[in-house]
Amino acid sequence: MKTAADLKHGEKVIINCVNSKHPSAKRLLEVGFTPGQEIELVNRSTFNDPIAISIRGTVIALRRSDADCIIIA
Amino acid sequence: MIDNLTSDNLFITLVGPPNSGKTTLFNYFSGKNYKTVNYPGATVDSAVANLQKKFNINASLMDSPGIISLNPETDDEKIAVNYLYKHPKLGKPDLVIVTVDSSQLSRHLYLAKQIINSKFNVIIALTMVDILEQKGFEINEDKLSEIIGCKTFKVDGRSGRGIDNLLSYINDNKISFKEETILNNHSANNNTDDVLLLYKEIEKIEDECLVEIEDKKNINLKRANKQLNLVTNKFEKKKCNQIDARTVKIDKVLLHNTWGLVFFFLIMSFTFTSIFWFAQPIMNFVSYIFQNLADEALNLAGNNWFGMLLSNGIINGVGSVVVFVPQIMILFLILGILEDSGYLARGAMLIDKPLSKIGLNGKSFVPMLSGFACAIPAMMAARTIPNRRERLLTIFILPLLSCSARLPVYTLLLAFLFPGNKAWIAGIVLAAIYLFSILSSILAAAIINKLNNKVIKAQDNSSFILELPAYRRPEVKVVAINMWHSGKLYLQKAGPIILVLSICIWFFTSFPNIDPKVNTDNISQEQVNELKDSERLATSYAADFGKIIQPVMTPLGLDWRVGVALISAFTAREVFVSSMALIFKVTDSRGSLMESMLDAMKNSKIGNTEKKLFTPSSIIGIIIFFMFALQCLSTIAISRKETGSWRIPILQLIIFSGLAYFLSFVAVNGLRILGLS
Ligand SMILES: Nc1nc2c(ncn2[C@@H]2O[C@H](COP(=O)(O)OP(=O)(O)O)[C@@H](O)[C@H]2O)c(=O)[nH]1
Ligand SMILES: [Mg+2]
Repeated sequence: MKTAADLKHGEKVIINCVNSKHPSAKRLLEVGFTPGQEIELVNRSTFNDPIAISIRGTVIALRRSDADCIIIA
Repeated sequence: MIDNLTSDNLFITLVGPPNSGKTTLFNYFSGKNYKTVNYPGATVDSAVANLQKKFNINASLMDSPGIISLNPETDDEKIAVNYLYKHPKLGKPDLVIVTVDSSQLSRHLYLAKQIINSKFNVIIALTMVDILEQKGFEINEDKLSEIIGCKTFKVDGRSGRGIDNLLSYINDNKISFKEETILNNHSANNNTDDVLLLYKEIEKIEDECLVEIEDKKNINLKRANKQLNLVTNKFEKKKCNQIDARTVKIDKVLLHNTWGLVFFFLIMSFTFTSIFWFAQPIMNFVSYIFQNLADEALNLAGNNWFGMLLSNGIINGVGSVVVFVPQIMILFLILGILEDSGYLARGAMLIDKPLSKIGLNGKSFVPMLSGFACAIPAMMAARTIPNRRERLLTIFILPLLSCSARLPVYTLLLAFLFPGNKAWIAGIVLAAIYLFSILSSILAAAIINKLNNKVIKAQDNSSFILELPAYRRPEVKVVAINMWHSGKLYLQKAGPIILVLSICIWFFTSFPNIDPKVNTDNISQEQVNELKDSERLATSYAADFGKIIQPVMTPLGLDWRVGVALISAFTAREVFVSSMALIFKVTDSRGSLMESMLDAMKNSKIGNTEKKLFTPSSIIGIIIFFMFALQCLSTIAISRKETGSWRIPILQLIIFSGLAYFLSFVAVNGLRILGLS
């Protein structure tokens, strides 16, 4: 199962679903990471974590552990 | 602040996602100057003000912290949601104005729809229309109003554009807003499926209301596309969801995979060195003016107790603190530029990983940065950290960061260590002190984190989710007003305390023996005055008290006079400087206030001996004391309030003040053993 944490720099994908068991799932859905939306990894911090993902016309920084609940394939 | 609560007084609440322009609107309506920052999570408390008279509507208005949805996760969000349903004093709002960033339509309408579904009387204020226009789109307000079920207005709180329409609508419908409504408390979406359903609904609304601004080229293009049917839709959507091109470019550099953190440290170092260098010339000037004022006062009033009270007690005491206003303002100027540019959220992202290793969070960065201004707003800013343990740990270490009240103390002491042409070194050392305060706070966090559950209990899930707002050229007006207000606030906060304390200290160091008898044979008038000064102090009330604290000061190589200044600094750290000015009697004019203060310090001896009181080692000792000691009553009070118990503030007081004394002792005596007097 591929998640947003596995994205490469500049890679654009469509969100498949969000793992609702993950503690951050609710917040991520609320900020706009809903299935069907296109996301792109636009920046990575120096230690490759957190990452910055573009969604719905804005950019959101999140830890890889949070990005793990966004399933893309 | 909240007056005339008559029955025709409307209570309006401003709600919206972070960074959607609530505070900007609030300031426009109320004529106040609350801080607007390009960072999600700048407002952490609610504020209430009356609508300005000129708008001719009798209303109280509430600003609140930004929320993503009606399900709060952090303490600032909880405040916003609770106050939305019921303000402790004003109760239920008659009208809710929801701010919606037009360039983030679907994400922001989500909250607006939740609030509409809760049956509030709602008006939507569409902000940032200019940004959406740059992207080539506009919103069909009428259609949006119709579909979403409430009136919408395009506004710009910075210029006031469009606000007239909104106000006249409110005025026309005053009476209907007052009608009793039954709120639906449970419409907050409780499971993930509800979130998805609501977003589906919002997306449909967005599709219908967002239209491309048509110029000639576009019309042709559209016609062509229409024939290809489906293509139009996709094309539109893509384009309005593009992120700001300039932001992408800047982030290629500032969020670079390897260089990002290097730039981060460069930006931070520049911030702290420049405070000292830019402010120096202005400070010299202010200091010069105050010295002349004090001299004039003494000349006019004569060399009696009244003249001394006026020149020593009041003008010098207050002046020694006012001198630092330029420096404070420059600190806030630079912080303001950083805040308004949008870089803060990037800083938080870059530093999240290192901070998470020591039990903090990337979101601790903004509270820590505000800690350089003052620990009080900093502790409140920690409300944006969702994880309770990380939040308490952040609050715990905040007093270690070098707040602006310490700036006058360091500046005075460094000017003593590096006089005249070596002053440029002082700038570097000051930056080093700032850096060291970061290191010590990090070390403290790491140690407490290791002690694990003993001090602060571990709790739930740790996460970091933060929107990175588009970069913006800092607005001169916003930054300048912010700077002006922080200067004013510094004076308002410190001014009265310092005035009162200056007079107290003047009294206790001058009485009961205001006019001591001294042997005046064969000495000049100047020497008589000096002798009288020292005799007066030696037989004063302060000296009696000083004998009690002398044993505590001796190990640090200091005497009771510095002890009195240190104790008075517990009301506010700046008071140390004014107390020093009073105790070491800065009367004779030799240039500026600062210069004569430094002269007086240079010439003071310990007790009756010939040993100098202020030596490099004892000065370094005092600096170290100030770096660690928790000497601020307001900080203790706010720590109690934000953490909900006395445990943390008391631990902070004991640990940091004890550490201050111990480290200062080690430094002074260590340096003396190494041969530095
Ligand atoms: N371009 C643009 N910027 C705005 C507008 N309204 C507010 N801002 C800026 O957006 C930022 C966030 O505003 P603020 O009022 O602090 O938002 P809050 O977090 O909702 O209180 C500030 O830097 C404002 O200057 C607008 O209509 N257009
Ligand atoms: Mg705000």
